[in-house]
Amino acid sequence: MRTARRISQAFFFALFIFLLIMTEYKGTDEIKYPVKIFFDFDPLVALSTFLAAYSVPKTLLWSLLVVGLTLAVGRFFCAWVCPMGTLNHLLSHNRRKAAEKIRRNRYDKRQGWKYIALVFFIVAAMLGLQIVGFLDPFSVLIRSFALAVNPAFNYLLRAMFYPLLSLDWPWLTALIEPVFTFFRKFVLSFEQPYFYQGLFIGLVFVAIAVLNQVRRRFWCRYLCPLGALLGLFSRFSLLRLQVDEKTCTGCMSCVENCEGACEPQSSQSWIRSECMPCWNCVEACPHGSIKIRLALPRIADRSVDFTKRQVIASIGSAVGALALFRIDGRKVAPSASVAETRESKRFNPALIRPPGAVEEREFLTRCIRCGECMKVCIKNAIHPTLMEAGLEGLWSPYLKMQLGYCEFNCTLCTQVCPTGAIQELTTEQKHQTKIGLAFFDKNRCIPFTLGRDCIVCEEVCPTPKKAIIFEEVEVTDPAGNRVVVKQPRIDPHLCVGCGMCEYVCPLVDKPGVYVTSIGESRSKDNQLLLDVYGSGITK
Amino acid sequence: MPMNRKNFFKAIGASALAAGLPGCSGSGGRETAGAVPLHRREPVVTPGPKMAVVTGADPEAITRRAIQEMGGIGVFVSRGDKVLIKPNIGWDRVPAQAATTNPQVVATLVAMCLDAGAARVTVLDNTISEPRRCYMRREIKKAAEEVGAEVPFVENYNFRKVNIGGELIREWPVYRKALEVDKMINVPIAKHHSLSRLTIGMKNLYGLLGGRRNQLHQDVHLSIAEMTAFFAPTLTVVDAFRILIANGPSGGSLSDVRQANTIIASVDPVAADSRAAALFDIDPQEIHYLVLGSQMGIGTLEVESLEVKEVAI
Repeated sequence: MRTARRISQAFFFALFIFLLIMTEYKGTDEIKYPVKIFFDFDPLVALSTFLAAYSVPKTLLWSLLVVGLTLAVGRFFCAWVCPMGTLNHLLSHNRRKAAEKIRRNRYDKRQGWKYIALVFFIVAAMLGLQIVGFLDPFSVLIRSFALAVNPAFNYLLRAMFYPLLSLDWPWLTALIEPVFTFFRKFVLSFEQPYFYQGLFIGLVFVAIAVLNQVRRRFWCRYLCPLGALLGLFSRFSLLRLQVDEKTCTGCMSCVENCEGACEPQSSQSWIRSECMPCWNCVEACPHGSIKIRLALPRIADRSVDFTKRQVIASIGSAVGALALFRIDGRKVAPSASVAETRESKRFNPALIRPPGAVEEREFLTRCIRCGECMKVCIKNAIHPTLMEAGLEGLWSPYLKMQLGYCEFNCTLCTQVCPTGAIQELTTEQKHQTKIGLAFFDKNRCIPFTLGRDCIVCEEVCPTPKKAIIFEEVEVTDPAGNRVVVKQPRIDPHLCVGCGMCEYVCPLVDKPGVYVTSIGESRSKDNQLLLDVYGSGITK
Repeated sequence: MPMNRKNFFKAIGASALAAGLPGCSGSGGRETAGAVPLHRREPVVTPGPKMAVVTGADPEAITRRAIQEMGGIGVFVSRGDKVLIKPNIGWDRVPAQAATTNPQVVATLVAMCLDAGAARVTVLDNTISEPRRCYMRREIKKAAEEVGAEVPFVENYNFRKVNIGGELIREWPVYRKALEVDKMINVPIAKHHSLSRLTIGMKNLYGLLGGRRNQLHQDVHLSIAEMTAFFAPTLTVVDAFRILIANGPSGGSLSDVRQANTIIASVDPVAADSRAAALFDIDPQEIHYLVLGSQMGIGTLEVESLEVKEVAI
């Protein structure tokens, strides 16, 4: 069974890597194999999204399958399927002495932490504060791989090939260019990805990895709220571990090899909700004394320690967190009906959400910061926020137009969102969707300040009728000559806020044209035009 | 890990490698400045007319006919030549939107070059919209590869800073392929452009440049003329099957597209653009880069002064 488990783990991990690589433009307008498939089987995301936003995308109902299977056979998901678990499993290898391994594999009361975290996230979600993405294992894994591991891997490979390829030694180029082309086609991202805060997110991931050397599968035992949720379900499961006391010599080989610290050394000490059924104990037992089989659960079975007091403290923390997260400068009104009158009129100009994003209040109840939209963005324009959406919105997606722009005909980010924070758009709908509005900085724009022609922004403006217009104006250039230049302006009705103008502006440090969030289609209030806000006609 | 001798040397090696890597990548923008332009193509002497203008409803047929009228592809491409075909693939638009060169025209030229014995035909463009979308969705990659061309994506490590030899542009990063090939066929589409009025063949050569292309607009006419002098395309084949008469060069609206059903082939890049300007009812004298081009001796504005073969099929 251990071999079967390893094959299963290898399969799902390979699947994860494959889907991650496929979460990129591959020549068709549709993403065929997005990595969001893993979320469809994540009951924690399904539950918290339902509690916070009152509805879930249909695909998330697949997670009920996992719930059902967990009710039957316990936390098999953690040991057999979860790629985050597999990674932690691999990183847990150490060469400690047997006695030390046994000591560190004994049940630890602090394994109750993950249940406290689960209560916190669930209660927060019930209050409308959806922050489970900080610790949901798939969110952590995909975010870390998409924003840190993959860019770092890309960087290393390119740093290896580029210098050699630019030597222009024909024999060397002939030798390694096909290798690089192969990597670029099948493994690497098309262009080197860069992410704002990529380093920070990578360091968090390194920390999670290193903790495995403190305790085996530290993440899975102590932190993972999905593991806790499945642990709760598995308490009612049919999974049973039986130790034959007649043949057992108490050598503790089972504990030495245990993944979950579930005390497999006797039927009485075994903790079902901590057991990942990895079958290590069965295989390690020199006397064949341990058996895993299915049987009805008993009430007397041992469970994890967490006290009523801790649960109440956790609920209290969730309430406190809600209050603290909502008193920042965003002016988040306690009720949506209030928002329409006086509150919530402060919008962050930098918070340009991807096209198809739902209205901000609902967006935050759905986004789980998995980073898929950032991974798939064809021009690497979508980045994780720092404080632009408040601490509540940390690592949620926004567009930074100096690093990339929103490609006019592309709809990829709208196809990969697992929770419906970004709704799927057709190309026609996307063309009509404004994510912001461009403005010119006449103190910097070249035709205004230097009396030279430029209008690169007008050249690239992708709307069929260009949203950037210009007029020919006679100005004085710095040398004192009267010259005629074309000075650009914006037509706010045509501009969709794609940011291509900002991206190509020759003022590369601080562009002379820039997009801000005002005018975004998803918001009724973040508008500047009377005819749009009032939906009437003005001249 | 104990710090024994083996591990110590490992650590030294690793840190040397780490220190060396950034140094190596610094050589990415290596200069070949000071030298003359790497490749000066000799102008081709045509036995027949210097320009052919063919009109008709089939893009492939009019392309073939235009080349035939000029003496056949053998005049331009010899056996064993490495050929670069430079279409406009710059935008994520479908062919009907007339922002990019017609894939059929490109594929026809590829097939003709290979028939003439070209060793290798490369089709590429440093695009403005996202390259994969331009190449794949716009069908140029597929059409050209089917008939035997290589259609590689532009790679960052393949730009070389070279001496352009202009008054305005002394040196600039140019795509390596353009410096290496024996023959270059420029296959632009004729379009409206707000700053330079029209973008046809001469401006299409921007697509072989890297670096800070967004600065070139500051003196768009002179930079276009100087780039044309530098690249000296063997042949210009203007795709005017559909032309874009407004909201160029990106277009996007079918109402801005006009069906002109024309192919203009010429060995004179200035004349080719001047003849295409007539399709827009624009006097070439009004287009400053054409005037500059003729002053620099790249070609002539006066199309009538050339031997021109006009055919309708």
